[in-house]
Amino acid sequence: MTTDFQLPAIDYQAISPLLILFGVACLGVLVEAFVPRPARRRVQLGMALVGVLAALGAVVLLAGTNVVTAGGSVTVDGPALFMQGALLAFGVVALLLIGERRVEPGGAFVAQPAITVGSEADQRQASAPGATEVFPLAMFSLGGMALFIAASDLLTMFIALELLSLPLYLMCALARRHRLISQEAAVKYFLLGAYASGFFLFGVVLAYGYAGSVDLAAIHAAVDTSQMNPALLYAALALIVMGLLFKTAAAPFHVWAPDVYQGAPTPITAFMAACTKVAAFGALLRVTYVAFERLAWDWLPVIGVIAVLTMLVGAVLAVTQTDLKRLLAYSSIANAGFVLVGVLAVGRTGASSAMFYLVAYGFAVLGAFAVISLVRDREGETTHLSRWAGLGRRSPLVAGVFTVVMLALAGIPLTGGFTAKFAVFSAALEVGEGWLVIAGVVSSVIIAFPYLRVVVMMWLSEPSESTATMVAPGLLTGTALGIGALAVVGLGVVPGPVLDLAHDAALFLR
Amino acid sequence: MTVADVLLLGLGAVAVGAGLCVVTTAHLVRAGLYLVVCLGALAGMFLVLTAELVAWVQVLIYVGAVVVLLLFAVMLTRAPIGASGDLDRPGWPGLLVGAGAGLGLAALFVDAYRWTSVSLPDGPDGPGSAGVLGGELFRSWVLPFEVLSVLLLAALVGAIIVSRPDVGASDRGAER
Amino acid sequence: MPGPEHYVALSALLFTIGAVGVLVRRNAIVLFMCIELMLNAANLALVTFARLHGDLNGQVMAFFVMVVAAAEVVVGLAIIMLIFRTRRSASVDDSNLLKY
Repeated sequence: MTTDFQLPAIDYQAISPLLILFGVACLGVLVEAFVPRPARRRVQLGMALVGVLAALGAVVLLAGTNVVTAGGSVTVDGPALFMQGALLAFGVVALLLIGERRVEPGGAFVAQPAITVGSEADQRQASAPGATEVFPLAMFSLGGMALFIAASDLLTMFIALELLSLPLYLMCALARRHRLISQEAAVKYFLLGAYASGFFLFGVVLAYGYAGSVDLAAIHAAVDTSQMNPALLYAALALIVMGLLFKTAAAPFHVWAPDVYQGAPTPITAFMAACTKVAAFGALLRVTYVAFERLAWDWLPVIGVIAVLTMLVGAVLAVTQTDLKRLLAYSSIANAGFVLVGVLAVGRTGASSAMFYLVAYGFAVLGAFAVISLVRDREGETTHLSRWAGLGRRSPLVAGVFTVVMLALAGIPLTGGFTAKFAVFSAALEVGEGWLVIAGVVSSVIIAFPYLRVVVMMWLSEPSESTATMVAPGLLTGTALGIGALAVVGLGVVPGPVLDLAHDAALFLR
Repeated sequence: MTVADVLLLGLGAVAVGAGLCVVTTAHLVRAGLYLVVCLGALAGMFLVLTAELVAWVQVLIYVGAVVVLLLFAVMLTRAPIGASGDLDRPGWPGLLVGAGAGLGLAALFVDAYRWTSVSLPDGPDGPGSAGVLGGELFRSWVLPFEVLSVLLLAALVGAIIVSRPDVGASDRGAER
Repeated sequence: MPGPEHYVALSALLFTIGAVGVLVRRNAIVLFMCIELMLNAANLALVTFARLHGDLNGQVMAFFVMVVAAAEVVVGLAIIMLIFRTRRSASVDDSNLLKY
């Protein structure tokens, strides 16, 4: 058969961040096969860090690019580059946490999770070096996230969604301590995640049925011209948004988040909280702003109700938590609601405020989980609130960092959290969505309480026998903590540059 | 009634019936076998819809690989061969709501569409043949296709890590 | 006279059966089969829409979905087997260390 066969033109420079991430991930798999075991962690960590930094450099070099390339599969535009940049910056910090081995002998991951817990073999591997395969898995996941943000058709988006999720499910199951809970979190996350991506897929199919194409711009064009029944379009929109809201952990699709955040190894929880959130909101922004913008009047009230529900559920349930990881999970749910407020202020200001919020939240939450990985006793991490009482007296420096991070999450002025909340709420006011702002302010006040309670407990209680010990951070965790704290304060004191950057970047290419 | 209509009715009834059996049967192994029937009926429908290659790939990948894997999993988790009473959880509200929504959706679709089918772009071997589809795949879907290979690699590596054999029994495992 | 719309209705039915199945069953492997049903329903709709629009992309997408489903099966079964080895049960409700 002689078809005149033509490969599509591919702008390799525009997709270079993706190529670097996937390339390093594949190299990481080869390292597992060929590099002797003792050297593997260094090689893997170094390669992953260099790869993510190189991809970040490539993103910076691409600033200002606006192209659709690779046969119409990838859009490289302002929002894509801004959020890829944020994602990769978080990726560096998360990799530092994943690579840490000083805090826990052998690292936070176990080499052979399938060994029965408590058996003789398990005791032998208790302090053996952990699996180094987490590095390639994290890189695969990061690559999927970067593609998820930039995908310009729904099929590419679906594949990126799977690529970012599957390694995450697996990494959840690899915790060294509390392994049963970790594996259970993996099962839960997997089953609910696969269920949600089934809904997303059916939405994609219905959009294809309506528009005759899965290209986001083509769907936008078809909204006015298609002869098909609009019911198809609405069903498609509902199912796609449902799938994406699941990944952002918005209520009522949030039920997985507390269990998974608590069960997963802390570095992976940090990775999920910061990076997955950026990726999911990147895709949500692109789908709603590019493909379904003409239906904005139909989806605004519905997603508005979801946003209010998310903020309130997250805030109220956070108050009742006694476990810090669960508390941060509910805080992550509430924060998804705050970002949604920005998304709902449809327009340039709305998009830029949501993007800024994601940056501020990401650094704060990475810092918080970095501290959590340091507070330990003989059993591993101690995340129960009562064990944190008096920690401030024992190790003022790290407790100070945690305080800054908590104040940022609570939205206290002079921290990134305040600037971000201010940006999101003023964007919503600008377009006349006052009810969202009211709900937002109310839930900010509610959720400030649990954050401040932790701070008060740390500083004002006397250390007792049950107070956990704070392990001195190694170089990697120390760097991660430093980056997190500096970014949080920096975004609060001089938010101008990042706000301007977000504003300049916030135009979607259709 | 043409042949295609009869086939649609027959295969559709088989697919829905088998699907219902998957969801309701109390036998774990039978659920897997009903799934084979359902997927087979779907492959038949793909053939009726002139998606020849998709139909054969469906048989190869789904019936041949996925279901076999699922049955292996059933065996390895030592599921009882007979009926097991604990497969369901009380979900009647969910069942009712879901079934109502599904029937409504289906009715809506039947009511909403007045389409006429257009003939597919023809290749030398028919519209759904491997050649035509391959051309389409590499013309507009190169990047997703390559990413798919990365996805498979990630899934394989991850699955191996999670289920690595219990080498700790030997002394070599201690060194690892 | 059955037409293409009936294929889509059929796919909606199958999708619903799968979706409801996930809600009412407890065994992780059966849940998995229900998710497979959902993905297959999506495939049927894809192929039907491809026929209706006279556009091969729908069929190509069906391939993608199959491969993704295969990858999902690999990961899912690995995790289910893992938890079975440490817990000796594949029932979702038995895993409740995290429920409180």
